[in-house]
Amino acid sequence: MCAATSPNVTRLVGQSMPSLEAPDKAAGRIEYMADLTVPNMAHAKVVRSPLPHARILSIDASEARAMPGVVCVLTRDEVRADPEMEEVYGFVYRDAPLVAMDKVRHEGDIVAVVVADDVDTAEAAAELVDVEYEELPAVMNVPQALADGAVQVHEEFFPIAPELRPIEGTNVCHHATIGCGDVEQGFAESDFVYEDEFLAPPVQHCALDLHAVISQIEDGQITVWTNCQSPFPLGRELERIFKMPARVIIPYVGGGFGSKSRDRIECVITAAAKLAGRPVRYILTQEETFMTFIRPAYRNRMRTGVKKDGTIVARHNEFWVDVGGYAISGARSANNTLKVATGPYRIPNARVDCYAVYTNKPPSSPYRGLPTTQHTMSYEAQFDRIARDLGIDRLELRRRNLVRDGDIHITGDYLRSAHSHECLEQATEAIGWDEPLPVDPDGKKLRGRGVSCTIKYTLTPAREMSENSAEVALVEDGVFEVRIGTVNIGQGSDTVMAQIAGDALGVGLESVRIVHSDTYRVPVDSSTTASRSTYHMGRAVVEATDNLKPQMLEAASQLLEREAASLVFTPEGIAQADGSANVTYGELVERVGAPLAATGDCVVGGMYAGPDGKSYPIASTFWTFASCAAEVEVDTETGTVRVVKAAASATTGTAVNPHSIETQLEGGIGQEIGPTLFEQLVWDDGGQLINAALLDYPLPTMETMPEYAPRFVDHPFEGGPFGAKGMGEIGSVVVPGAVVNAVYDATGVLFHEIPLTPHKIIEGLEGQA
Amino acid sequence: MNVTFTVNGETLSLDVPPSTTLLDLLRDRLGLHGTKEYCHSGVCGACTVLADGKAVSSCSMLAGQVEGADVLTIEGLTPDEGLHPIQQAFVDNFGLQCGYCTPGMILLAKALLDENPAPTREEIIRYMGGNICRCTGYAGILRSVEAAVRERGSWS
Repeated sequence: MCAATSPNVTRLVGQSMPSLEAPDKAAGRIEYMADLTVPNMAHAKVVRSPLPHARILSIDASEARAMPGVVCVLTRDEVRADPEMEEVYGFVYRDAPLVAMDKVRHEGDIVAVVVADDVDTAEAAAELVDVEYEELPAVMNVPQALADGAVQVHEEFFPIAPELRPIEGTNVCHHATIGCGDVEQGFAESDFVYEDEFLAPPVQHCALDLHAVISQIEDGQITVWTNCQSPFPLGRELERIFKMPARVIIPYVGGGFGSKSRDRIECVITAAAKLAGRPVRYILTQEETFMTFIRPAYRNRMRTGVKKDGTIVARHNEFWVDVGGYAISGARSANNTLKVATGPYRIPNARVDCYAVYTNKPPSSPYRGLPTTQHTMSYEAQFDRIARDLGIDRLELRRRNLVRDGDIHITGDYLRSAHSHECLEQATEAIGWDEPLPVDPDGKKLRGRGVSCTIKYTLTPAREMSENSAEVALVEDGVFEVRIGTVNIGQGSDTVMAQIAGDALGVGLESVRIVHSDTYRVPVDSSTTASRSTYHMGRAVVEATDNLKPQMLEAASQLLEREAASLVFTPEGIAQADGSANVTYGELVERVGAPLAATGDCVVGGMYAGPDGKSYPIASTFWTFASCAAEVEVDTETGTVRVVKAAASATTGTAVNPHSIETQLEGGIGQEIGPTLFEQLVWDDGGQLINAALLDYPLPTMETMPEYAPRFVDHPFEGGPFGAKGMGEIGSVVVPGAVVNAVYDATGVLFHEIPLTPHKIIEGLEGQA
Repeated sequence: MNVTFTVNGETLSLDVPPSTTLLDLLRDRLGLHGTKEYCHSGVCGACTVLADGKAVSSCSMLAGQVEGADVLTIEGLTPDEGLHPIQQAFVDNFGLQCGYCTPGMILLAKALLDENPAPTREEIIRYMGGNICRCTGYAGILRSVEAAVRERGSWS
């Protein structure tokens, strides 16, 4: 910190405050993607494959092109005819064509884009595009995709990310392992070995703000407006594909939960805009979003070896992730899972095998903490089986195995701020774990409680590098403009950054203005994903203010004709310490005649110097620990499960905006109740998704809402901005494990597959009888 | 076809294609973007507006169905300065995150409080259960509506 900084009195960090934009949101004044227009804009509709896997024999768009009002139709022919346009995009796997070239690989795959003067014309013309397919066998799930002689979804592999390792000649686009100790030796030394297999089916994120994009090319310059969560990687991809500079602008985003984490429609609509010679807007329908990105199906086989006292000796995880037809994003999520599959426990001997598998489902993307959610469910459900079998109290079994500060994780990381025990105690206490359960006098409704614990990573580079920057500028009106790439997706990022910047500068909120996510107005950022922004962007903001302060002092020193070392920062400006002279921030910038600006970088990765003098790898810049405790009521007649109470406790580091953290936890819990109890995408035998319309796909409502008890452990995290770390996803991650275990407690049946539908519950209860 | 109706206190007479939905009329024709679209099938409630005081899904109503009706959107609820007490309750009680469902939720709450000035928690949950929010888990929304109920007496 700068020597002349005023005493570090926290004024904004730690205060609960509604988001800065809340009044405008309540007034309906915030503009989302679907509210934006640009002059001379044309409208796109997409021709999508009705088949999950097929060769394209021919495309005849002549009738569509002839329709009055149609501007152009983009097919593979136009893409191939343009020597200045690359055909394939993808963030970690470059395997997705702008429009289908030889084959379609999932129902809803993009075959053509029709551009017209208005949406109705585009829609009508899209009906006229005649595509002839030769249907191919489809692999609709992982077992089918791994079967002998299974058709290959992709004949060749094109991984971009260096960690990705496909198995040639199969549908496995990534196989990776991680381990510690000697797992076979560990099983040999175990008193008992448990083996289970858990399944979590695919669901969709259902962010209400529909995916949408406007693309414009003018004078050799691309400008794209979109609700994607990764503006800078998208901009680079556009520049690679179209060989011209690209600007990406993200308005306020109405939720994403991972479905918007990577680009999916932006490149193809830019190709359409290039062909049209006009700006093009495309807004997906709700059904189309279900063909765009989904949370993948998960199969998780676990063997765990324990001593008689419940101490874990060995664990082997094998899991299969269904990444769908394109691994553009899903292969990396699968790889990150290696870091968390064994859970927040001390396990001396462990091995994890991850298989990411191509199928003919829509491509997969992260989903609010996926894939940690599915692993947490698996190891926590197995843990309760072990507890019951060994006659050990469920909480005690966890206490015996949970990590503590200074433990070495399976990744080799030295764990810090590992308050996993505190999370467990907080969550269980919050729902009244030891209080007697209500008893239904008719004996038809059973109550039970369950708990789960987790460890979660954040996105972290393999080597030391800057993950993002921020710029802080003192501008004309004496306001500090904080320029950040973080996408405001409803998580409250503008507010948190304003609190951090305000305290770092020692000024009030009224002196801070946030400018977000326009790649030509803010410095580079990797993405708004993986609960990373509070920590990473927060650090960059603090560093930018540190770099700005000497500039301001130097300018004030010249203006006031005082030694810089004798000056101090005040909320209003810069003053001589004895009060004999001062200049307000507004006067300072006015007298200098130009804004004063500085950037700060958040450099992460590399090695951690442990207190024992050793160096440790950093697989995750910070780890988040959490527990959920849930109480359920199971109706044995109808098979309905109701989550009555749910508490979540997470390690947040310093709570920058405490009530905002609580509402994030509530939101995470409430959202994950859907996939735990009733959400599930279903395909028929022909590979057609049968419940893509919201009418057939129930979501949590106020009526499924439990009584929440959000808690957090806020010990400051060394290195975080004011001691903070991220927590946007952690509330959802712990839900399925706690609920499955609560149902086990209530019914005596351990379910190995979610959602816990009435049908499954009744079947499980009958199996028990 | 011609349709004459009142929107936010202003009476309009418009020629529209018969297939036009109230949602499209509000958003595309009148530029009232505070009314949102998601499912377009009357399920999610993002497009909720009030027609003669009743909460309706504007995506599932044809423009012709509002002939003679008095329609209120979020723009009409919002005073020239500041916020309506229900809006303020949503801000103060963290009843919103991404904000996309918020105009519909607030109008649904308005319809509830106009019908039933002192609803119980169970009545609020049943009434508000029709609109989808993906961010808040509904707890903040419930707290907001309950706060608005508590302060109902002080509205002008």
